[in-house]
Amino acid sequence: MNKTGHSCSAHIDKTTTISFSQSVSQSPQTPDCLTIANMSADQHLQALTKVVVNNLENQHDWTQVQIHIQDNLPRPLIYGLPPKRLYVHPDEQIDIIKAEKQLNQRVPQEPELEWVLPLHLAEKWSISDFAAVFDAITATPPGGESVNANEDAQWQLWRGPKRGKRILLATVQDDSTVTYYWMHNGLVKPRQN
Amino acid sequence: MASTEDDRQVRISKIAGRYLVFDIDDVAYIRRQHGICAVFTGTMPQNPTQNVFLGLPLELYAEDAKMLLDRKVAYIADDPLEHLTQLKSMDDETRKSYLQSIKTQRRTAQLVFNEAKAQSMAKHKDKRKPKQPQPPVVVPTELPLSASSADDVAAAVDQEEEGGAESLLESSSSKPVKTDSSTPPQKPLVKEKLPAITPTTSNAMISNGTSNPDVENHTALPLYSYLNERGYFITPGLRFGGDFSVYPGDPFRYHAHYMANSYGWDEKIPMLDLVTSGRLGTAVKKSFLMGGQKPATENSEAGELRAFCIEWAGM
Repeated sequence: MNKTGHSCSAHIDKTTTISFSQSVSQSPQTPDCLTIANMSADQHLQALTKVVVNNLENQHDWTQVQIHIQDNLPRPLIYGLPPKRLYVHPDEQIDIIKAEKQLNQRVPQEPELEWVLPLHLAEKWSISDFAAVFDAITATPPGGESVNANEDAQWQLWRGPKRGKRILLATVQDDSTVTYYWMHNGLVKPRQN
Repeated sequence: MASTEDDRQVRISKIAGRYLVFDIDDVAYIRRQHGICAVFTGTMPQNPTQNVFLGLPLELYAEDAKMLLDRKVAYIADDPLEHLTQLKSMDDETRKSYLQSIKTQRRTAQLVFNEAKAQSMAKHKDKRKPKQPQPPVVVPTELPLSASSADDVAAAVDQEEEGGAESLLESSSSKPVKTDSSTPPQKPLVKEKLPAITPTTSNAMISNGTSNPDVENHTALPLYSYLNERGYFITPGLRFGGDFSVYPGDPFRYHAHYMANSYGWDEKIPMLDLVTSGRLGTAVKKSFLMGGQKPATENSEAGELRAFCIEWAGM
């Protein structure tokens, strides 16, 4: 399963590079060079998104993976449900431990929907670019908001109002390696690894 | 104690482009009240190569110095600059008061000299009566006296007091220092004859705060003050692989939370830098913090500062 996922994404990536280089070589000759460049940039983004989606679904067993297109976003985002919970804020962890002591039973940690931003390793982003993405999104991806609100338990608030904006940066290299890093909005202290 | 801390002005000495604090009370004050721990750079004269136990002076980042300056709790003492501006712009009043202060010093020297002379005379009187009066042996060490040429300088200064409003440097060069035949020799002789002195400091001439030097090269100031205002302590970040390491409180009590880099608002950051920094940060149990400030526009003055934290996702 994993192997096919790998080869498939590598193939897609190769086509992307080819189409991109074609546009570069063609652009001085054709009069409609701008539209072609735009088209190939779109294709590049589509292919990049597809690589990440494939990787999430096939290598990391994500479900409900959706591509999210929004006008004020510079590129399509992805969101989906990981097989197990990906991020627990250190303060939330304290609240969970407190709750577990009180209830005298384990608190199950259901996975949450997470945002993913597909990026290529050759790209360069600035602080303002990232700020624009964070300003355009909500903390919870669409469909994930209605997780049991207003209860006394502190630990449950971390899934609702206390959840900060975070995006999984999915950086793709040409050999179809995808690395995942959390990017948090604002000062978020590190987890105790 | 609190009342004295309220109007404390930290003296930051700018020496060769570095910002140094020499007063241990100032060091404690900026650490307690302003969350600045900075770096001790002084070593021991007996063993100048050891760098395990460093002490005063404390070297501040330009960002630290600028922050303290903006809060009006410090001033920059740039002595070479201060001397130059003071000498160039010295008005009549300041010049006169400086010359007066030198005269006072000379009077003090005379008193000390007389006292020493009297003491040695008494000492010698107690012993045998000497065949010939001997010159005093004891010379005040802090105020060196010299021979007749110094008297000439003293005379020249005396003359200048009555003279015009030329600056200190000009007058000394234009007016003949040595008394030639034309100068009336009786005037200084008739007046009290004071010993000439060589002032060991020029403190009387400069008064800090006239030139008000500012701090330059503080590119990381927005991120720096953003963190400092939130109670974070910042130290140099080489040991964790970033520009700064950021502590949630005094580094004596806490481990660092972040390794931080400051960027320009539109500065393009290669993705590999983010990945490697994120990886490195996670390896040292920190979060990689990147921040930048939106530049000022016509409408708004200070732009918002955005900070993002990166850590490994574990997948």
